[in-house]
Amino acid sequence: MANTEAALKEAMSSIEGTTGVALVDYTSGMALGTLGGGKDFNLEVAAAGNTDVVRAKLRTMEHLGIQDEIEDILITLGTQYHLIRLLKTRGGNGLFLYLVLDSARANLAMARHQLKRIEAELEV
Amino acid sequence: MVPEPEVRDVLSELQRLRARVPLLSGALAASTDGLVVAHDTPGVEAEGVAALTAAALGVAIRMTEATGRGGFRELLVRGDTGYIATYAAGRSAVLTLLAEDRINVGRLHLEGRRAGTRIGELIDGALTRADRPARAVSGPQPPAAHHGPLPHRPTT
Repeated sequence: MANTEAALKEAMSSIEGTTGVALVDYTSGMALGTLGGGKDFNLEVAAAGNTDVVRAKLRTMEHLGIQDEIEDILITLGTQYHLIRLLKTRGGNGLFLYLVLDSARANLAMARHQLKRIEAELEV
Repeated sequence: MVPEPEVRDVLSELQRLRARVPLLSGALAASTDGLVVAHDTPGVEAEGVAALTAAALGVAIRMTEATGRGGFRELLVRGDTGYIATYAAGRSAVLTLLAEDRINVGRLHLEGRRAGTRIGELIDGALTRADRPARAVSGPQPPAAHHGPLPHRPTT
């Protein structure tokens, strides 16, 4: 079991190509923890913005009558991948992990696999 | 008092903010002593909110001072069905936002802080211009010591 800080550190160091990671509460849009990012990539802004992404998807599923849950969301940019993974562990309700990857360095399949493992071990 | 052109600028800033942020049901700029500068708060009595904001602000400023947290930045109150957030807006004003419970608080903070800074610049600029000629001719200023003015920001 890993706490928030350890999980963010692990994501940052073990997932190749990661430039930023955050644990976000999508009931409030605020980040519980962030690592990486920097002056030209504000993770607080990303946390608030991607909260809207998650909420929109959940609402759409509800409108479509889909009785299911989101495992993850992938957003592909020209030079980056953004990966959103919703927490299913105890106490993780209403939270998601947000990962920013440099697409030139990242292995998407591996990143997704590793993020799944980090999510499973995370205890908030 | 804030001159009319600046009041219009502040009002359009409030209206833009409400158009941009979903679930934001009201926005109001008030002086730190509780008078409304501009408001866009349908269904809510702005004068009352401004007066209460000043009272809450007084306590908040004393709280930050008593606990060594520096100057006042913002105040967030949550009720069962929504939020009330107050952000510093320059030296003598604050921005108060009324939001529904489902609002993205992260985004509310980002937009509220930005708008507070812009409104602060507008009001501080207007008051500085209005103060200069007035000070030269008027007598003593009315006592303002009780209102606990916001900490001074260095102006360049």
